[in-house]
Amino acid sequence: MTIKNENMSSAGLSRRKIIKGAAAGAGVLAASPFLLNIAGAADDTIKIGFPVPLTGPYGSEAKEQALCAQMAVDEFNAAGGLNGRMAELLVRDDKLKSGEAAKRTQELIEKDKVHFVAGSLSASVQLAVNTICADREIPYVSISQSDAINEAKNFTKYTFHEAMNPHMTAGAVGRYVFPKEGKRVAFLIADYAYGHEMARGFKEAGKAAGIEIVAEVSHPLATKDYSTFLPRIQAAKPDVLCLCNFGYDQMNSLKQATSFGMKDQMRMVAPALLYNQRRAGGAAAYSNVIGGTNFYWGLEDSIPSAKKFVDAYRKLNAGAPPSDYGAYGYAGVGGLLAAVKAAGSTDADAVIAAMESTPYDLYKGEQHYRKCDHQSVQSVYIIESKAEADMANEYDVFKIVAEDKASEDVLRSCSALGLG
Amino acid sequence: MNMSNLTGTITKNRVLVVFAFLLIFPFLAPYEALATDVLIYGLYALGLNLVFGYMGVLSFGHAAFFGVGAYGTGIAMVHFGVHWVPSIFIGILMAGLTAMIMGAMAIRTKGIYFAMVTLALAQCVYYIVYHMGELSGGEDGLTGVSLKTVDLGFTTLNIIREPLSKYYLVLGFVMVAIFIFSRIINSPFGSVLEAIRENENRAQACGYDVKLTKWVAFSISGLFCGLAGALSAIHLSVVPIESLHYHQSGLAVMMALLGGMGTFFGPFIGAMAFLMLEDIITTMTSHWQLFLGAIFMIFVLFFPRGIWGSILHWISRR
Repeated sequence: MTIKNENMSSAGLSRRKIIKGAAAGAGVLAASPFLLNIAGAADDTIKIGFPVPLTGPYGSEAKEQALCAQMAVDEFNAAGGLNGRMAELLVRDDKLKSGEAAKRTQELIEKDKVHFVAGSLSASVQLAVNTICADREIPYVSISQSDAINEAKNFTKYTFHEAMNPHMTAGAVGRYVFPKEGKRVAFLIADYAYGHEMARGFKEAGKAAGIEIVAEVSHPLATKDYSTFLPRIQAAKPDVLCLCNFGYDQMNSLKQATSFGMKDQMRMVAPALLYNQRRAGGAAAYSNVIGGTNFYWGLEDSIPSAKKFVDAYRKLNAGAPPSDYGAYGYAGVGGLLAAVKAAGSTDADAVIAAMESTPYDLYKGEQHYRKCDHQSVQSVYIIESKAEADMANEYDVFKIVAEDKASEDVLRSCSALGLG
Repeated sequence: MNMSNLTGTITKNRVLVVFAFLLIFPFLAPYEALATDVLIYGLYALGLNLVFGYMGVLSFGHAAFFGVGAYGTGIAMVHFGVHWVPSIFIGILMAGLTAMIMGAMAIRTKGIYFAMVTLALAQCVYYIVYHMGELSGGEDGLTGVSLKTVDLGFTTLNIIREPLSKYYLVLGFVMVAIFIFSRIINSPFGSVLEAIRENENRAQACGYDVKLTKWVAFSISGLFCGLAGALSAIHLSVVPIESLHYHQSGLAVMMALLGGMGTFFGPFIGAMAFLMLEDIITTMTSHWQLFLGAIFMIFVLFFPRGIWGSILHWISRR
């Protein structure tokens, strides 16, 4: 006789008996999750899964992405949804780990029956989410930078990349900076996929400008102390230093470079100059740094859709303007829902066709998805960080100095990606 | 310990009890992917439990076996186009080989030093795989381990579309492993393990080759964890680099402690409790680590036998 017989001899296989009997070991702790397995009633809500790293180093960016994505959903619903069908955003924490993201995405698809997935904030995590979604034929909109996701190895017809890619941003910044600032170029590279992708983008752009690479220094991800790396760069006497790192790495390396007096010797350049990081790092560390961005709230002066987005965000957030990565969340989900409306259904193929064929303008001017790799073709804005004295208020941190116009010409060609 | 009839019955028929429970488990779990995860992590903690619970040696390096199992299987499938069944065995064998090498170096030490040496060696494995970018995908992890359908001869399982059939496919492997594990524990070899746990010097004085036994147990433990890793590669269709990280090693220790180290069913209970709690708490708050940590501390302080160990103890005292 087993414990199973002991507890279930009289009453057959009712769920409660099973819980009490076979799961005795799990006890009270695990009993509550068991009860959650009441299959969700089939309703006609349009569900969008949104895995982002709410915990971990990019937590504040992720929370803002979720907030902005919710704005897009609320706007869609306020406008009547899809003939009365409302949309719902299901935010999950992927903890910035691809295994966790793969699990969470399976949960979203199997348990919550989402129609679409958007999100992720890491080059590696998005590849995992992409695999899970593509296998299950669920359209996925990535809102984080990556070159690999456009390549034939990872691209499927279900894959969409709303974020810019390192090739675009580093390329745009390089095309702007190299002719102006000089040909002797040094690289400080965070030693992981995204870091090297940015460096590659700079080098491609540098070919046309005829740059000379005088130093190339890699540092491990999440380095706090750059004092062993920076002197090697100083010694090479470059005109331009390309910081191919992200987030806290970018902030810490800039702070130390500033205190080493390197800003007087060379121009600092960052492909993805982040709004939140700049505000956290302070004006002194960032002043005069040139970088690229998908969006800065100052665009509201020149672009109507930006004005609309910034105003809506300000209303919800006590006057604070949205950040660049927050805007990705808004555009990723907003673009998806616009395509749902255009297609008139949530059928994956119909929505994909609508996304491929319909240009959209949600927050920064017109964008469209390139047919062969579903990369969002969009303008890259070149910005320069202001010094403390030039700031009108605490949010006024950047000056837009140039626009690298939306064009398929600045992307890697479809054949270079292995896509025909 | 004075065991009553019930605990005696459970212990005697432990494989059947586990099997019966796991058979109905997916209908109780919140969703199938989580149930499959519990299977995989239960097996992983079970493998660790052989050295940790039964032999009394704490290893902080078992992520290496889980990860090598996962990468071995994934790389065989993605880069060499090997069929998934032999791929799993390639993963298991590579994990076993890693365990043999790591074990040979680590068993020279004892206690905390053993834990530290295994931790260090596992980190070496992490960085080796990290830098094999061409094969392992490096930072991005290995993607494209997509096993979509499984031909069983009489029927074809679409494991992507039907997560339940994926669960039972994994369960098939896990049950074979559990059966073998039970036989190992019941064998004279298993008794030597427990003798080493209770009193290593005495076991040596009785004429057992303690070092050899430790090494063999460590290697076998690696095989089980390797299978868990191989199954996770198929389950997730990606192999993330963090499957080799020392967090992953800590996870197995935590699950074994939570469920009850040195008990047969404990690792599965631990994996279940941990993963389900994590699943629920993370959807409610982003401060999930705080809650999990508190729960873990409560168990270590007040229920050192773990969930399953405490229940067995409680039943046997009635």
